[in-house]
Order: sequence, then structure tokens, then C-alpha cells
Amino acid sequence: MTAPLVRGEGLTRAFHRRGGLFGRGVPMMALRGVDIELHRGEAVGVVGESGCGKSTLGRLLLRLMTPTSGRVMFEDRDLATISAAELRALRRRMQMVFQDPYGSLDPRRVIGAQIADGMVIHGLAQGTTVQDRVAALLRQVGLDPGHAQRLPHEFSGGQRQRIAVARALATQPDFIVADEPVSALDVSIQAQVVNLLADLRGELGLALVFISHDLHVVRHLCDRVVVMYLGLVMEEGPAAEIFRAPAHPYARALLAATPSLRHRGAAASPLAGEVPSIAKPPSGCVFRTRCPMAQPACAQSVPALRLLPGDATRRIACHRAEEIAA
Amino acid sequence: MRRAAYRGLILPGVLAAIIVLLAIAAPIMPLIDPVRQDIAHRLTGPSAQHWLGQDEYGRDVLSRIIWGARVSLSVAFSAAAAAALIGTLLGILGGYFRGVVELLTVRAAEIVLCFPPLLLALLVVTLLGPGAGTLIFSLSILFAPGFARVAYAETLSTRALDYVTAQHALGARTRRILALTVLPNIATPLIVQFSLTVAAAMLLESGLSFLGLGVVPPAPSWGLMIRGARGAMEQAPLLLFWPCLALTGTVLVLNLLCDRLRDALDPRGRAMGRPGFLGRVFALPPVPSPPAPGLLSVQGLTLQVPGPNGPIEVVRGVSLSLAPGETLAIVGESGSGKTLTGLAVMGLLPAAVTPVAGSIMLTGQDGMPRDLLRLPEPELRALRGRDMAMIFQDPSSSLNPLLRIGTQVAESLRAHGTHDGVHDRVVALLRQVGLPDPERAAMAYPHELSGGQRQRVMIAAAIANHPRLLLADEPTTALDVTVQAQILALLQALKEAEGGMGMVFVTHNLAVVAEIADRVAVMYAGEVVEEGPADEVLAAPRHPYTAALIASTPEGEAERLSAIPGAVPQPWAMPPGCRFAPRCAMAQPACTVTAPALEEVAPRRAARCLRWRELA
Amino acid sequence: MLAFAARRLIVSVGLVWAVASLVFLVIHLIPGDPAELLLSQGGIAPDPAAVEELRDRLGLNLPLWTQYLDYMGGLLRGDFGLALQDEHPIVDEIALRLPRTLELVGAAGLIALVFGVPLGVAAALRAGGMLDRLLTAGAGLALSVPVFVLGTLTVLVLAQHLRLVPAGGYVPFARDPGRHILLLLMPAGTIAVGLGAVVFRVMRASVLEVLERDHVRAAQARGVSPAGIIRRHVLRNALTPVVTVVALHLGSLLGGTVLVEFVFNWPGLSGYLVRSVESRDYPEVMGIVLVISALFVLLNFLVDLLYAVIDPRVRHG
Repeated sequence: MTAPLVRGEGLTRAFHRRGGLFGRGVPMMALRGVDIELHRGEAVGVVGESGCGKSTLGRLLLRLMTPTSGRVMFEDRDLATISAAELRALRRRMQMVFQDPYGSLDPRRVIGAQIADGMVIHGLAQGTTVQDRVAALLRQVGLDPGHAQRLPHEFSGGQRQRIAVARALATQPDFIVADEPVSALDVSIQAQVVNLLADLRGELGLALVFISHDLHVVRHLCDRVVVMYLGLVMEEGPAAEIFRAPAHPYARALLAATPSLRHRGAAASPLAGEVPSIAKPPSGCVFRTRCPMAQPACAQSVPALRLLPGDATRRIACHRAEEIAA
Repeated sequence: MRRAAYRGLILPGVLAAIIVLLAIAAPIMPLIDPVRQDIAHRLTGPSAQHWLGQDEYGRDVLSRIIWGARVSLSVAFSAAAAAALIGTLLGILGGYFRGVVELLTVRAAEIVLCFPPLLLALLVVTLLGPGAGTLIFSLSILFAPGFARVAYAETLSTRALDYVTAQHALGARTRRILALTVLPNIATPLIVQFSLTVAAAMLLESGLSFLGLGVVPPAPSWGLMIRGARGAMEQAPLLLFWPCLALTGTVLVLNLLCDRLRDALDPRGRAMGRPGFLGRVFALPPVPSPPAPGLLSVQGLTLQVPGPNGPIEVVRGVSLSLAPGETLAIVGESGSGKTLTGLAVMGLLPAAVTPVAGSIMLTGQDGMPRDLLRLPEPELRALRGRDMAMIFQDPSSSLNPLLRIGTQVAESLRAHGTHDGVHDRVVALLRQVGLPDPERAAMAYPHELSGGQRQRVMIAAAIANHPRLLLADEPTTALDVTVQAQILALLQALKEAEGGMGMVFVTHNLAVVAEIADRVAVMYAGEVVEEGPADEVLAAPRHPYTAALIASTPEGEAERLSAIPGAVPQPWAMPPGCRFAPRCAMAQPACTVTAPALEEVAPRRAARCLRWRELA
Repeated sequence: MLAFAARRLIVSVGLVWAVASLVFLVIHLIPGDPAELLLSQGGIAPDPAAVEELRDRLGLNLPLWTQYLDYMGGLLRGDFGLALQDEHPIVDEIALRLPRTLELVGAAGLIALVFGVPLGVAAALRAGGMLDRLLTAGAGLALSVPVFVLGTLTVLVLAQHLRLVPAGGYVPFARDPGRHILLLLMPAGTIAVGLGAVVFRVMRASVLEVLERDHVRAAQARGVSPAGIIRRHVLRNALTPVVTVVALHLGSLLGGTVLVEFVFNWPGLSGYLVRSVESRDYPEVMGIVLVISALFVLLNFLVDLLYAVIDPRVRHG
């Protein structure tokens, strides 16, 4: 197997909230040691509920945020140790698409200029070639190239998301992180953007990290899925496998709780309680407080992410993996 | 709206321009030397030569007023400009880099704010002696922290926005991000702050001069003129009047300019209307009493909002019906009018939205049907929270952060005449909706609960009086999936416990519809396009929009999602004919001409499509 | 709540110390010799021997940090030093005049709130109506009239022309309560006009904003009466920004007293300050600026506590 394009190792990120008489208070661990690999042309879906650390993970991979510990390797370069100039140059190859199509475009600049930004910053094109490239990109994402001189507010949410995709593509990146790119859109528009991303991935051979809380969207777009809970990976493996038969109790619950058009009453066995605060995570396995399979032993130690017995493609973090596999 | 706001700028803008031009042109105007004394004619009234008279040294008042404007304005503008430059720089750097930089810039500048402004100016005057230079220096120190604060706060909120992160992700240098992205986006409040500061600087300058600690005589200054005229106010009160008028008028113009600028640049502040609960004024023609509903029957409901080219129909001819114990889902995308329809039933429409036609019949707890659209507000209020109740999308903002949970649930009971045993009943309700430790939850504040728990509280308040009708507007959209499943289960259980309670569930999520609804009404662009039993509609849609919506839901095994091309039309640009035609795969020329009516397509099923038969 | 108050108190004490140090440093580090400044009248260079004698007497020849420690030690004992002019203890003069200024500020604040808050609510509830437009225009005008202009015109019209009230001055409460209040009302009212306009505008905007919030609509959906909604869901929520803005304006309120005390001959702290600035009596200026700044910090501390009383989120945060 070839070397991965992007690799995150033991990624941890703490945030501080003010509290107490002085000082910074307790650190809140948004991410508590996550390993992730992404190969060229591969699409990995990261799913989980609020507070699971999926957005933090995306930003760490692009080094828009520095990890508290752990490191991110892009090809053979450690993003934490390369110089600022090298990192800036490397940014040409990794891009991001954001959730909110209204907040991700500068309201005061015409969209053509915003799409051109990356090319100008990295000196990829000059003069009229920039205009031509912008026109080509707009066409590629299904917009009218004649609209380059319009301001963002003249576009609908779905169109803005297309513009954001065009901006990310402008530097011809190898790697894109899409952070909930369709959750702010209407269903009928969601499908347009999901299809666009799927097409572009095929045409351009992009590596894609697709962050979402919607399992169904992920299934459509991704080869592999990472299920996260409270800053840790619970299960990881081929998308089709995980959707067919999720192994980890949390992955099962998440899939079961998602309502379905096909069968009524699918969401009949909800988990008890809600996601605990990341400031006070449970001891041992973080999921044990809501887990239907929890035993006293689950409170003792954090389960490692390991191969599911009898399945060389999936890994789960559960003390009772053997019983699940059996 | 925006154009009107810009028009508002004209008057103060022109006045300010005149004042500034007068000040600039003072040296080339045929004015008498403002410092030439004429003791013989001191305190003389207006004359042909001295239009506004002469002051206590016989100097020409008009000339001194105009030259005084020059002094006041140049001090105020220079100080404001210097303060803007320094403060903005400090604020942007502090707000963008945070940490130590913030401490050294913004926090350091804020020490100045620990001194009352006039005192600080006096301190500087003590050290440097009075004079225009001292004034500019001390005023810039005084006002720079204000700019730093504004720039800091704005930078802080701007840098968190995705488009700034996007620049960073593109590999832009910090310099480029600050100059090209941050600065233009925080310019608006800085411009407002600037005009505010010029006015404040004029006030301080004239105040200091009035105390004799600002501009040094004999240079003309409005503050000094007032100080001088004060000594002679018994003999020549008019002398006091002119500089007071000039000063107040100029500050008034500047303040007005500032207010209008704010309105023009930030249109949010102007949106205003009569608060709905103080009384709705609808003039609906009476209708011949419509048939008695099962529980709820909406007939031909049409809602309008005012638009630039006449009223816009945001909901058109919506008809719905609900039997006791039934759950009706209203499903649609943003702009479909589903939420407005729900709010119309409750009589909680925003001030700008007016019902213009139709009726909403509700059978109350007493078995009496009433037309909610024609009910006076006090009678409607008596129904709200008792016969019909509502839960909203965002449970965090729907609870008053300053009141205890128990108090807010108790409101439902007290508003409808329950005053005894309220506390016990509240605790019982909180227990019923599944809150752990309901005694303690009743004493908690909303911020102490999680999102799902807050929605449970909203539900407890809604069912307090055993309503006949429960309206739920996207009650699970803001929640996580596992919590959504809990809330859906809770609503189901409550419906069974409260025998005969009907529910209207507004949502954008078809899968949720499949989960809980007996009947479904699909809305598109303000109209109901299909209506019928939920399982039948989802299994065999009779409207192309419903079919396309189902197909675009990312659930099936299909490799590729089928998307609906285009976007929902804007309410002011509705297509003629069928409103879905421009996006419809089945549209024919006829569809763009005739607006189809809602037709019965099967028993208890209706669709608004010319070609529904081809879908069957 | 206690931890919150303690945290704020520590910050406030630190601020007062920072202000005192800053005032000290500014006076001592700025180029120019205070002794020379004091002795040079009318631009004539003073006798160097006299300057040296004064520097010695004021301790200006000691090392800076010794002076600093002496000054800080004095402050801790409640000793602000002696005035240069007639060598009276500065703290005595401050103790005599501070209560009068506080009385003025308190009365002005009270008047401003008593009028500003209810009128702001009334205008917001009838937004766009006749009353609203009238009050809003009035507030705009009130904000644009400088206090000393308003004060001077008040004296001109009420005292000089109509002879309704005395032109200003001060009578101790114990000697003549009625006259004391009459003399207080004019300067206090003058300050209150501007402050009241600020309170009015913020209250109006704040109520309008709160009326749009979801929890107000949710209360309506429960069938709560308009009076109940305004009382429980609007007023208290709308008060937070008012507290913020009043706190922001405390500075100009305290500054405003300087001008108003001057116009109405009110013998408060500010008049004392103007006199010391005129005579360049820097120990006096330092003492007064320090006291007023400390007062300002104290008021801000009280405002922070008030936030916590109004909003449980601040208490628990």
C-alpha cells in the first residue's frame, strides 16, 4: 500500500474556559488522541454528534488550529515543524469548504475576486489568465461565468456553496476538508452539492475529509467512515460495512436513531441521556454512561481502537469487541 | 428600506458640509478680523456692519462664530483622526492576535478608560499648559481607547467568521488578511464611531475652553465666547445665544449624521413594528360559517407581507384539516410558508405578516368551534396555552434566561387560572416529560440544562393545560440525532397519554415525517402541493415535487442522488402558472400558464398538479 | 456569587493601584519640572535658588522610587500630602467636598433613571407612534446640548429673567433643607437631561430588541397576558444593556460635574480640581484625580455586581 497523503497521529486538542477565582480553569478536551489516515483520492467521512470533536479534527488536519499534542504529516512533512513560509506554500495543496454558505464568503468582495484569491496568493496565474481560470471554475461548479462580478448576497445558499467549492478548487489542491458543507442547505439543494463534490472527486482525484452529522449523506460520498464520540474514534472502517452492520454500540445507536423514510418506528430505541459535557467526560470508556452494553469494567480503562476480531478492515474502541464480533 | 435610509443621510450630510465649508472658507470670506477690539462699541447690538453685534471687547460676533467653527472643528477632527488611527491599529492587532498582543494593545489602552474623560484632559492640561496642541493631544489619548474597543470587538467577531479562516486556509499572509479582509469588514462601525467621536471631541473642547483651560484667548472659540458672554449676560443675553446655538446646532447635526449613518449602514436597527401581543388589527371580511372541524380546519389561508411593489403573498390558499388524536406533518423547504402557517394558527404572526383571506376553525376544550382568524385578541389569548399550545425550534432561545425553569412552566398554569398547588403540578409535569430530578430542575435556570432537556421543559409548559392541539415547529432540528429520537418518542407517548390531542408537526425532514405523521401536507413556495395519509404519500407521491424531494433524500441505495435543479423562487418573483414548473422535470408549456388547483386524486388525498395522473 | 464578587474586587483594587501609579509616573516623568512650572508666573523664568529650595521641600530631589514608596505609603494611611499653595492637607479639602459631588451625581443619576427608564419603555411599546417620535426627537436634542450651555441658559432664563430660582450656590442641608434641595435640583437636573436621554435611548432600543426574542413569543404561546409578558419577560431582560450603558457614561457623568459645578457655583470636588489645575498645584490634582478615578472604579465594581444580580448566567459563569 502506498504512503498516505495526510496522516494525523495522536491528535489532542484542549480548550480553556475561564473559571475559578483566578486562572484558566479546567481544560476541555475537544479531541483526546485521534489517529487518522487519508490516501490520495480517498474520501473519508467523519460523523458524530455535537461535541464529538469532528470539526476540531478537520481544522487540525489543515493546521488552521495547532494540536495540543500529536502531529499532522502531509506526505513526509510534519506541519508543526516546517517554516511558516513552507506551510503557506503548502496551503495551495490543501483547502477547506465551510458549513455556513453565508459566513464563508466575504460580503464586500465580488465572488470572482474571492475565487481568484488563491491563484493570486500563490502566483499561479496572472492578468487575463486569472479571469479565464475563474470563468472555467464557475462553469465547473455549474454557475454562470458571467456572474464573476457579483457580490455574494446576490446568490442563493446552494449557489454560494458552489462558489466556496470553486474557491477551494482554484489552487488545484490534492486534499479538501469539507466541514458540514450541506447541513445548512435545503434537502433539494443538498443533493446538488453532494453530487457536485462526488463528481469533482472523481474528475480531479481529490482526497476528501467530509465532516457531517448526517449518516446518510456520508454513505453516499465516502469510502471510509470514522464515527466519533466525545473526542475519540469509536469505530472506523469501510462505509458500506459500517452502514450494513455497525459494530460499536454507539455506531449502532447513532444509525438506529436516524429516522428513515423506508421504515416507520426505526428510531424507536433511543439512547438514554445526552452527550456529557467535554469538561467532565466519564472515566474509562467515554460512551459507557449511555451504552446499553456497559459493564463495571468499562469505567476502569479507556478501550484502545483495535481491529474488530475477524474483520481486517474495521477497527473499534470497545472492551467487548470480542462479544460483538461473535 | 435601504434606499430610504440613505435618503435620511441627505439633510444632516448637507448641513454638516455647509458647516465644514464655512470653517474652511473663513480666511477667504470678507469677515472682520475676529480679534480686532473696539472697546468703544462693546456689547453693541446687531448693525449693518456687525450682523450679530459686538462682544464684550467690541469684536465682531459673526466673524468670531465662523472662525470659532474653524478652531473647534480642526481640533475635533484632528483629535478624532489621530484617535481613529491609533485606536484602530491597536484594536485590530489585539483582536486578531489575542494573547499577549491583546494585553499590550487593547487592555493597555483601556487603562485610560479608568479616568473620567474630562479629568484626564485636565490632568494633561496641568502638565502641558492650555492650548490647541495640548487639546488635540489629550483628546486623541482620550478617544483612542474607544476606537480600540470597537475595532477589537469587531475584529474578534470578524476573525471567527469562516471567510477569514478561508483566507488563512488559502495561505494568505496576515498582512493581506488584515488589510483586505478584516479592515473593510469592520469599517462600518468605525465610521460611525468616528462621527460620534468628532461630536464628543467638540463637546470636550468647548467645555475645556469654557473653563478657560482649552483654547487660549484671544483666539476665537465657541466655549470661550460662552465663557465671555456669561459675564455680560444681564446686559446682552443675545451674546450668549449665538455661540450656544452654533455649538448645539453643530453637535446636533453631527449626532444626527451619526444616527442616520448607523441606520444606513446597519439596516437591522430600523426594523420595527407594533409588538404583536399588544393587539392585532386584522380586517377580514366575515365568511359564512364554515363546516365544523374535527379538531382543526384551515380553509384558504392567505398571508401577505408588504413589498416594494405591492403586497406579496407568502402563503396562498392553504387548506388543512386535523382530526382529534391525529398527527399532521407540514413538510417543506425554507420559504415554503410552513412555519408561517403554524404561527397563523396560534395568532402569533410577525407584525409584518397579515392574513387577508381564509379561516382557521378550532374546536376548543368546550367543544365549541371558533374561527381563530376572527377572534379578538383577549379571547385568542385565553385559547393559547390552554386549547392549543406550541413548541419551537430553538429551545435555548425560547426560554427566558433570567427566570427559573419552574417559574416558566408555572406561567402556563397561572395564565389560565390555576393558582393552587402550582408547584406540585410543575414538578409532576417535569417528571412526565422525563427530566431527571424534577424538583431540582424546577429551581434551575435554563443555562444549567442541556438542549434536549430544555426542549422537554418547553413541552412540559405546552401540555400543562391538556391542550387539544399541539403545534410543534421543527422541535428537533436544533438537537442531535440521538436526542431527536428521544424527543420524538416523548411526543408520541404524550399524545397517547393525552387522549385525543392532535398534533401539527412542522418539519423539513421527510424521514421525521415518516417516523411520526399520520397525515402529511407538502408545501412549496407558499402553497400546499400535496396532502394525504403519510405512508401513502411517501410510498406513491402524486406531485412531482414530493417525488423529487423523496428522491433527493440521501437514503436509498442509488449511487447518485437525484437533485432538484435550481432554487426555490423568491416570494416577490413567483413564476406564473405552477410555482414548481421552472424546476419540474415533467413541466409542459401548459404548466407555465395555468396555476393548477388542489385536486382530489384519491379518497382523502389531494395534489396540485396538472399531470398528477401520469404519476399514478 | 461570592467568588465572582471576590474576583471583581481584586481586579478593582488592582486597577486603583494601577491608576495611582500611572498618575504618579505621568506627573514625575513628563519633561518639565513641577517646581519650575509652579514658580514661573507669566513667562518669567524663576529664580533658580527658589526652584531648588522648592524641589528640596517637595522631596523632588530624592530618587524616584523613594518618592513613589512615600506617596503610596501616604495613600495607604489616607494621606494625600499638602497643597503647594497654602499647605493645607489635601485630604481634608477632599473630605469636605467629595460628599457634595457625590450628592450631585446621585441626584442626577436618580432623576435620569426615573425619567429615562419608563419613558424608554413607553416609547418602545408604541414604537413609531406620536409619543415615540416626540420623545426620540427630544432625546436627540438633549444629547446635543452641552451641559455647560444648558446650565448657562438655565441660569439666564430661570434665574436672571424670570427670577424663579437663585443663580446658584450652596447651602448646607442642615441650615436650610428647602433651599439646599432647590440649589441641588438645578445642577442635578442639568446633568440629568443628557444622561436621561442616553438612558431613554438605550431602554427603548433594548425593549424593542427583547420584544423580538423567541422567549417572548413562547410566553405568548402560553397565553401570558401582555402585562405579564412585559413584567417578567421584557423589563428585566432589557435592563442589562441599560446598566452597561449607564456604566459607560459614568465617566462623562463625573466629568460633567466639573462644568456644572463651575456654572452653578456648587462647591464640590470638581471646582476644587479646576482651581488646582489653574494654579498647577500638582499634589492637589493628583489627589483629586485619584479619588475620582477610584470612585469610578468602585462604581464599575458595583455595576458588575448588579449584572450578577440581574443575570444568573453571570453569577454562575
